[in-house]
Amino acid sequence: MTLEEAVRGIPSGASFTAGGFAISHQPMAFTREIIRVGQRDLTLIGMAECWVAEWLTAVGALKRTYLSNFMLEGFGRCRRFSEAVESGTLEVEDHSHFGITARLVAGGLGLPFMPIRSMVGTDILNKSGFEPPGDKFHTMVSPFGGEPITLISALRPDFAILHVAKSDELGNVQTFGSAAIVAEQARAAKFVIVTAEEIVSTDEIRRRPESTMIPALMVHQVVHVPFGAHPTGVYGYYDHDAPHLAEYYEASRTAEGVRAYFRKYVDEAPDHATYLDRIGVSRLMQLRVDPALGYVRSGGRP
Amino acid sequence: MSSAPTRDEFMTVAASREIHDGEVAFIGTGLPMVAGYLAKATHAPRVNLVFESGIIDPQPVDLATGVGDYRLLHGAAQVAGTWYALSLLQQGKVDIGFLGTAEIDAYGNLNSTAIGGYPKSKVRLPGSGGANDMASNAHRIVIICRHDRRRFVERLQYLTSPGFLDGPGARKAAGLAGGGPVRVITDRAILGFNPTTCRMRVEALYPGGSLEEVHASTGFELDVAECIEEAPVPTAEQLHLLRHVIDPTGIYIGKQANA
Repeated sequence: MTLEEAVRGIPSGASFTAGGFAISHQPMAFTREIIRVGQRDLTLIGMAECWVAEWLTAVGALKRTYLSNFMLEGFGRCRRFSEAVESGTLEVEDHSHFGITARLVAGGLGLPFMPIRSMVGTDILNKSGFEPPGDKFHTMVSPFGGEPITLISALRPDFAILHVAKSDELGNVQTFGSAAIVAEQARAAKFVIVTAEEIVSTDEIRRRPESTMIPALMVHQVVHVPFGAHPTGVYGYYDHDAPHLAEYYEASRTAEGVRAYFRKYVDEAPDHATYLDRIGVSRLMQLRVDPALGYVRSGGRP
Repeated sequence: MSSAPTRDEFMTVAASREIHDGEVAFIGTGLPMVAGYLAKATHAPRVNLVFESGIIDPQPVDLATGVGDYRLLHGAAQVAGTWYALSLLQQGKVDIGFLGTAEIDAYGNLNSTAIGGYPKSKVRLPGSGGANDMASNAHRIVIICRHDRRRFVERLQYLTSPGFLDGPGARKAAGLAGGGPVRVITDRAILGFNPTTCRMRVEALYPGGSLEEVHASTGFELDVAECIEEAPVPTAEQLHLLRHVIDPTGIYIGKQANA
């Protein structure tokens, strides 16, 4: 399975959730390939995959998003995302982090809803985005003790796109560091696509079964994509590329800047290997983490 | 010799004093992160710092640029997931949480979602993230922000995170488990809440600060505590830790002279 084949399996109009948290573990090679293939009208069910949200909004691929927070941590606002919400071209439905995750967890457990104590009394529930309020939540008196409790409905994305450290050919996934909600995303989605830094033998997985975060029975496709999170990082492998993230952040001040960025790194780099050539071996090697620290001592900031 | 403490340093020290030893503190990026490290390095060595990216009780040697940064993961006691970390809030395990905001009203309700309409808005902000979860469920909330009339408003344009909602008893009636806000630390004053009315009140001023200046920077009627205190002055040890150990390059604590 190539990256392009996996991406072409996602139809326009599909809903998806993407792994990662801020500058960590986001499936950026997959996102670049979506931009090349050109799907439209996508729905993102997102917690902290801010770079995916920002880029797919910037190229006009996103129609709606169920979200809790999109912010380019360490830089600032997601400018293209914000601009699209402000102009009305991107529809939003807001949650807290726990709230959006609770909806995915309910989906993953095969339940219609999850009781939750967050979000009540606020505009997150009182002001609706694109979703009718009755489809998002109900409040009730708990049959156990009589207290008020909110029920938030389940969400099941069509796809989960997760970039991880290691997988075997079958899709047994071991990934390290702050994994955010990848396990919950994998359970909730109807179809799970994993891109992995390394493809390892199943014997290697079986030597440390307690480290397996997602078993193969949850995974539908596995693609080997080294540096697949660049310019975000992968714990134990490479740090986030702060100067490169800053290059996008500066470019995002204008629509023309964004077009130039994607021309350089997506249009003129027709596949992931060409993209990595464009970034350069020396730059990629500089991002490799100090194993004792888990990051690059001199890196981190643009 | 070290120069006089800046307003950022006053704010950070005030924030760190809100953390008691042995507590569980939920921390985000920025000044709260520095305040949490400062508390742990001084009066609260057994505090458990928890981050929404799932990191529990780390021992970082370099300051992180955000909660997703691997610098924050170093020496952690556990790397759980986000779901687990946030569930600690709902279970009532978290004593104190720190929040920033774009808007705040007299009851300590916060807006970090949108200015000028919803869902289509004039200025779209990042959204709740874990802020609402903290504000809903932590035993105590401390808000840290700049103090001006655009931020301290009579009416929020969007209520993202609950303070006391519309007054006494409202949190309980809504089903909110946490205790709500206890302190608002700004660059002009340290504020708290009147326990009877749940409205914000001035509790302490920085050296050189005045009540008039605080009122002039606030867009709602602000109560004043019976006894206004002087904000705690950062000690030489605290200044040393902030300037040379925790944030030596001035990532979060500005280098500006006394504001």
